[in-house]
Amino acid sequence: MIRAVAHIIEYDFRNFLRYKWWLAGLISMNLADLLIMAVVYNQMVSPAIIEEIRSYFNFFAPGVTVLGLFASAFMIGREVNMEVRREIHHYMLSLPITRLELAMGRLLAGGLRGMMYMSPLLLTTFVVLGFPSAVQLLVILGALFLLATGISGLSIAIAASTTSFEKFVTARGLVYYVLFFCSSIFYPLSLIQSLGREGIMPIPIVVLAELNPLSSGADLIRSFLLGNPPFTIRMISNLVLFSAIFATTAMFAYMRIIERK
Amino acid sequence: MFLQYKFLIIMRAIWFAAQVAFFGLIASRMVVPELADVYFEYYVAGVVIMMLYSTSVFIGYDIFEEAEHGVFEYLLSLPVSRRELVLGRSIGGGIRSFIFIGPIVAITLFVIGLANPLNFLIAFSALFLFAFGVSGMSITIAVGLKSGDRFDILMGVLNAFIIRLSTTMYPQVFVQDASQLYAALTTINPVTFASDLFRWGVGIEKYLTIAPMPLAPILGLTAFFFAFTFVGVTVYEKRLEGGGWQ
Repeated sequence: MIRAVAHIIEYDFRNFLRYKWWLAGLISMNLADLLIMAVVYNQMVSPAIIEEIRSYFNFFAPGVTVLGLFASAFMIGREVNMEVRREIHHYMLSLPITRLELAMGRLLAGGLRGMMYMSPLLLTTFVVLGFPSAVQLLVILGALFLLATGISGLSIAIAASTTSFEKFVTARGLVYYVLFFCSSIFYPLSLIQSLGREGIMPIPIVVLAELNPLSSGADLIRSFLLGNPPFTIRMISNLVLFSAIFATTAMFAYMRIIERK
Repeated sequence: MFLQYKFLIIMRAIWFAAQVAFFGLIASRMVVPELADVYFEYYVAGVVIMMLYSTSVFIGYDIFEEAEHGVFEYLLSLPVSRRELVLGRSIGGGIRSFIFIGPIVAITLFVIGLANPLNFLIAFSALFLFAFGVSGMSITIAVGLKSGDRFDILMGVLNAFIIRLSTTMYPQVFVQDASQLYAALTTINPVTFASDLFRWGVGIEKYLTIAPMPLAPILGLTAFFFAFTFVGVTVYEKRLEGGGWQ
């Protein structure tokens, strides 16, 4: 089983490396966010918030790492959708690999590709904020792998639910924007919570921001490197739950769609 | 043709809603007190210009689509000169982006309010120059590249830098504090001219970059329009002859 899954992972990695221009573009965008936007916001953030986050640049560095992880892990959905539309999955079905192995391979490949893309961003974050201890590093990598696998599952589940590329792109846009902006990637969770308490932000949105796996991923890195927000086990349990739900959903959805006539 | 992009339009509308309802609202609580009073309105006006920029760029994607589907040959057979054809594309690209952002501008005016209708009319009219210029720029880049994927990536990267090195998201005074280089680049960026002009038009006059208003940004946008429309026309004309788009 491991050998078959490894073959699928290799196939997806080869595909990933074909998108070198796309990856260069994505890296440029992430760096523009960090080196321009975060540097300017550093000058704009109020002293009260600075007390909480130390500096916006430091706060945003883990955020942009998670942002990059999300975008690259989500790419697998685009490929699955394209394969379904062009019926390339018939070739995949002809391989001497079980459906489950195929689905697991796609899911893990999506997650690992996200981890690979995110590595230079995470390293930049460590260089800027300082390196974590060996145990903290393992926890960060494990948590980010769970996040990447969950994102990969989410994108496969969306891709498998429609054969229309336009509908996939629209659904992807909706998921991107809601998860990006309704999280602690760009701003501390405490700000969203205070807007909720004042009645400006609807409570379901506040709850979504709290449960958002991107918030958990970014805050987990911050908790180890910045000391704020404090580490809680809920960060890990959120990621485990997210990963388990979407990995399972994606595998069943993928197995179902490739067998559909 | 623009209506073919209905899903893209829906996506941009979702992006606008997310930018305003989440980022604009939350970031306005994060900034220094002297900026906090106006930052939400300031940011919403900037988002309109980001939308105008990104929708004006769409024309470049059409050019690749036409080359792929053989529509170029049909366009060349029409009884119009090459120059008229290119000018028409550039102006058409700008006008349709205005049609798209019309409802968004209406929502923005509802949120921000309108201090002086005459100023708004002047600013809104001058923004056509910006939209035509961006369409011309998109056409120039699209005909200069033969791969749709590379165009897509290049526009993404250009979009990331041109927007962040402008005053769409933050006032110039804070860019100045962050980096002299960034500040110098924002002052010559057409997106800054458009953002300042739109803010002046809707009455957000605190933190404007360019002076005197509205003359300076209008002159800047006119120069941008002429540069890219005529460069675009020349490059496009050359490419059209002898199947250079293939």
